[in-house]
Amino acid sequence: MKILKTVFAGLVILLAGMSVNAAPVSLRAKLDSVQVLMGRLTTLRLEAVQGKNAQGGLPMFERMSADGIVGVCGDSVELRTSFDRDTVDLGSGMIQINYAIPVQAFDSGTYRLPQFVYVSGRDTAFSNQVVLKVIPVPVAADAQISDYTDPVSPDGKLLDFLPDWIIDLWWLWLSIVVLAVLFIIGLRRYRKQGGTLLAKKPEPNPYEVAMQRLENLKRRKLWEQGMEKEYFTFLTDILREYLEKRFGINAMEMTSREIIDSLSGNSEVKEKRGYMRDILDVADFVKFAKVRPLPSDNIAAFVNACRFVEETRPVAEAVDSGGSVDPQTNIKSGLDMPSGKGIKKGDPK
Amino acid sequence: MNEPVNIRELNDLIASKSNFSNMIRNGMDRRIVGQKHLIDSLLIALLCNGHVLLEGVPGLAKTLAIKTLAQLVAAKYSRIQFTPDLLPADVVGTLIYSVKNESFEVKKGPIFANFVLADEINRAPAKVQSALLEAMQERQVTIGDETYPLDNPFLVMATQNPIEQEGTYPLPEAQTDRFLLKVVIGYPEKEEEKQIIRQNISGHQDPVVPVVDPEEILDVQKIVEKIYIDEKIENYIVDIVFATREPEKYGLTDLQGIIGYGASPRASISLAKASRAYAFLRGRGYVIPEDVRAVCHDVMRHRIGLTYEAEANNISADEIINDIIDKIAVP
Repeated sequence: MKILKTVFAGLVILLAGMSVNAAPVSLRAKLDSVQVLMGRLTTLRLEAVQGKNAQGGLPMFERMSADGIVGVCGDSVELRTSFDRDTVDLGSGMIQINYAIPVQAFDSGTYRLPQFVYVSGRDTAFSNQVVLKVIPVPVAADAQISDYTDPVSPDGKLLDFLPDWIIDLWWLWLSIVVLAVLFIIGLRRYRKQGGTLLAKKPEPNPYEVAMQRLENLKRRKLWEQGMEKEYFTFLTDILREYLEKRFGINAMEMTSREIIDSLSGNSEVKEKRGYMRDILDVADFVKFAKVRPLPSDNIAAFVNACRFVEETRPVAEAVDSGGSVDPQTNIKSGLDMPSGKGIKKGDPK
Repeated sequence: MNEPVNIRELNDLIASKSNFSNMIRNGMDRRIVGQKHLIDSLLIALLCNGHVLLEGVPGLAKTLAIKTLAQLVAAKYSRIQFTPDLLPADVVGTLIYSVKNESFEVKKGPIFANFVLADEINRAPAKVQSALLEAMQERQVTIGDETYPLDNPFLVMATQNPIEQEGTYPLPEAQTDRFLLKVVIGYPEKEEEKQIIRQNISGHQDPVVPVVDPEEILDVQKIVEKIYIDEKIENYIVDIVFATREPEKYGLTDLQGIIGYGASPRASISLAKASRAYAFLRGRGYVIPEDVRAVCHDVMRHRIGLTYEAEANNISADEIINDIIDKIAVP
């Protein structure tokens, strides 16, 4: 008897525990509009409350029909099987699942929709019943019957005939047009200016540049400060660049002997190569042999440089600046520097 | 001119030794027609204590040149014909057991000479080439447990035949780098060839008499080492060598895909040394850019690696050197 009591008490405790742990499942139904015009849609909202971790569903809608419609009330009311659902966390381990089911009816009348069933785990919940009134479409029996209207011809717009991708890429077409215009402008300018896009700067006269640089070199008084090596380096660089600009000889990449050889082959400066030879011979000594030249060597090199530039200047300019040029008259000791506009006979300085 | 004493002294010293190169040149001219560049290259290598790799078809007086040079210097000369079955011991020497003395005795190889002609070096396998090139570099040979220094002056002139490729073992790039110069010998001119015929069919040739002794060469080598190289020339050399490594930095973008690898620092050293020797031969106690240019091809051509693209387009190392020289500004 005692054992029987103990078993009974255990069963009571077990069942009580089960009932405490099981979350309550409920289902509530409501319609967005209780009356709709025939053929119009309204929404049936089903709110199912269940435990958070439980699996639940509406068995009624799980039977998938071919046309996606479940008929109720003798198939007079149609519920669509493709509907929205969303879940709301209610806290305390409970969630609410909201179903929004489109409802449509094509027969007028008042329909009491059946109770909807919601199954969650082992629990089943039944919804309340809702009533839907379907109002018939008013028919004007005495209205005049009109024929079908004729097809309307659309307005003829160019864009209507173009594919969409052409319209979507409008920026590309615009860019191409802009670039084409710029290209044509550039091409016309290029042709007009004889091969350059930018406005042609007048090429600096190599003679004037060389004379200017020689004057600058003189002003720096390098050899007077014991910097003979730098002095001859600058001096030869000035002459090399002059040869490059004036005669197209790549003198910067040539050795002294190569420069003299190339001058020998140029009829325009063949006679003047002696000046250059004298300068380069001394320059090689100073630059590469640690030789310190005498002041007279420095002066002679400078004078020779000026004479070479002066006597090889373009003929047209020599005429412009007053005809014959005699650098010896003006360069007395090599310390006097030409002004860059030609050394003319009889200049006061 | 107020020039510092050392350069003046050096110029005087060089002037006093100018006979040296003239006598050798004259002696060579008696035997060899033309081939001025070959003779100059041999002299440069001799003055720099370096070695020469010659490339040229047979019959261009390569052997005769070094043999004559050895006779003019009164030095010991030996010739090693490289063949596929040659062993390192055939070059450097070996230990031979003497039954009489009941001990191993050293048998020195032909490398123990002042002038060694390594004929057709690319016919011997790599181990023999390595033995020779190692001896060239170290200037000593180890046989058994003993190390023997090689004679001084010591000049190796190796020849390569560019025509035949079958059955040859081309020298690896790392090995060719050990040669101071690689000289490419061309055919003589028409007039020279006629003179060669006359000289050889007459049946009479002047005997070669020694004009200098090996000690004099060692003295001259010491003078060459004193020849002044200005920093500007050093920069020029460095620019040339660097242009083989980073041509794009010198505006030589065309060479980027053509040069597989650039010249090593040994190239810079060799270029400086050879330029000094060239300056000596021109009677100068200082180096000028012309000297660098004159030896640039011989020093650099075997130190520039060409890509497959270059080989496919038949671009040679000499063309690359020309491009570089034309682009680098001369100081």
